[in-house]
Amino acid sequence: MEPMIRMTNVNKEFKVVKRREGVRGSILDLFSREYHMLRAVNDVSLEIMPGEMVGYLGPNGAGKSTTIKMMTGILEPSAGEILVNGRVPYENRTRNAQDIGVVFGQRTQLWWALPVIESFKILKEIYQIPEKDYKDNLEYYDALVGAGGLYHKAVREMSLGQRTLCDILAAFLHNPSVVFMDEPTIGLDVSMKTKIRQLVSSLNEKKGTTVILTTHDMGDVDALCKRIVIIDKGTMIYDNDIKCLQQYFGAYRTVKVQFSKTVSDFGGDALEKQSKEVETWLAEKFPRAKSTVVSVEDDWIQILLNEEEVRMMKVINCIQDNRRIVDMNLQEITTESVIRKIYEGGVA
Amino acid sequence: MEPRKRGFGYYAHIYKMILFQDIKSKMSYRADFIISTIGMLFTNIAGFVTFWILFLNFPDIRGWTYYEMLFLYGFAMLAMTPVQCFFDNNWNLNRSLYTGDFIKYCFRPVNLFFYFISEVFDIKGLGQLAFGLGTLIYAWNKLSLPLTPQNILALVIGVLSASLFMIALMNFAAAAGFWLLGATSVMIFMFKFKDYARYPVTIFNRAFRVIFTFLIPIGFMAYYPSLYFIRPYEVPLFTFLTPVFGIVFFYLSYLFWMKGARQYTGTGS
Repeated sequence: MEPMIRMTNVNKEFKVVKRREGVRGSILDLFSREYHMLRAVNDVSLEIMPGEMVGYLGPNGAGKSTTIKMMTGILEPSAGEILVNGRVPYENRTRNAQDIGVVFGQRTQLWWALPVIESFKILKEIYQIPEKDYKDNLEYYDALVGAGGLYHKAVREMSLGQRTLCDILAAFLHNPSVVFMDEPTIGLDVSMKTKIRQLVSSLNEKKGTTVILTTHDMGDVDALCKRIVIIDKGTMIYDNDIKCLQQYFGAYRTVKVQFSKTVSDFGGDALEKQSKEVETWLAEKFPRAKSTVVSVEDDWIQILLNEEEVRMMKVINCIQDNRRIVDMNLQEITTESVIRKIYEGGVA
Repeated sequence: MEPRKRGFGYYAHIYKMILFQDIKSKMSYRADFIISTIGMLFTNIAGFVTFWILFLNFPDIRGWTYYEMLFLYGFAMLAMTPVQCFFDNNWNLNRSLYTGDFIKYCFRPVNLFFYFISEVFDIKGLGQLAFGLGTLIYAWNKLSLPLTPQNILALVIGVLSASLFMIALMNFAAAAGFWLLGATSVMIFMFKFKDYARYPVTIFNRAFRVIFTFLIPIGFMAYYPSLYFIRPYEVPLFTFLTPVFGIVFFYLSYLFWMKGARQYTGTGS
């Protein structure tokens, strides 16, 4: 099967003005300018198959938006090749737009003053959606999320959640092959997040649409994506199954403990002190376990450790020897903390 | 599925749909509609009063009579109608560039300029149309100009080509925002020039005459085409090229706008 999106050694560079400091500097900038090239995307190669749902992650400024803009045909790569559904997106932006859908978390693409159904009708004409497909989609939407109740409400009267919902429905209306989503659940409450995730998941499944999801919400990733791609400083640092990601850090465990309280433990920074103590005990006993991190989380002392360096039971015993543990909790590492470790340079 | 080719019929159809929906929703904000109509009325009346007081004190300006000037005034108002009605979204361009919202216009399989401009229809422009038409008919009568089919056709062509100049001017000014931050001031500056369009180019000194004919061609927005009706014996030959100039100037402004849009990369998100 041909991949839906194929990026081969893609680079993108921007010309940036080197700004000088201070008032004197900005006056100098008016007359002579120095430029330097900033590489926003560095040699990214990637293949995404039809129907895949891929989480595209990275810290702010990593090059996510730039990559998405290249895939959607807004930006031309400086080097390398991109094919979306067999076409070069930049060469025919309009034709490519027919095949893709785009959702921005907080920027609606629907007509602000119009009822949703009118926006849909205009989109039907713009994308030249066949009558039957249009009807089928509306029926399906209604069955899926009861969208019928929203159709006659103007977009500006909607809550953010309802608007996002309608934006997603609009993006799938013309049965695109690929849908790009940029933080679709940003700013939404917990139940609306769940609803949006279910909607995206059903649409992806039913229509076989390829979905590229950029987000900072690991809940989205856990709920939706089998595969994740991580980019940092323009370079791709991870591209694999989300399960592998956890195996990658599979040797990591989180131990949470609470101690019985003694008189000296009352006071604002008592937990901080306890965590410092724990850190000292562990550092003395296991000097080679360099990955161990002790921190305070809510009412708990949290110890993140790597089982390849030190067995979890030994750590617990060591703590037990020093102080009485009243409550304890063991956790697998979460995607969130794995990603955080990767951003902070854990893999490299 | 391969979509049909997107030609004139396609765009006209889409525009009609958006237009009707927009008018319908605007009507539903009754207070806004009434207040802005009244506001428009007062702006226009104030303009007239200034004009009228001017002519109470001077019987003519460099040989231009009251009714001739009124003709220019009405003609310029008519020529301003299309830019007001159909191209008003240019005023929002700079804000949407600044906030990064502009990016959302880039993902539709339609012409970007069309899609952006079609979003807003300013219904207040219709009041201007009525005002301009009334003024023009009044002046036309007072000047006892002949009402021949040829004249009417010339008037329609004249107004349409004159309006192209104003649209183009505002396109250029708005599109400056693709390169500059806060190009709204450029737009306000350009928009002020429309006030000079109401006066015969001959009352300005030589330097401004050249500027208003070739550089910022507001002379074509009322003066040159109006000459054809009120002073046919004085028409400079290139006046007959007004429609061609209008189309060329508009097309250049469109190219400039699209060039700006293409190099726009949006703010990060």
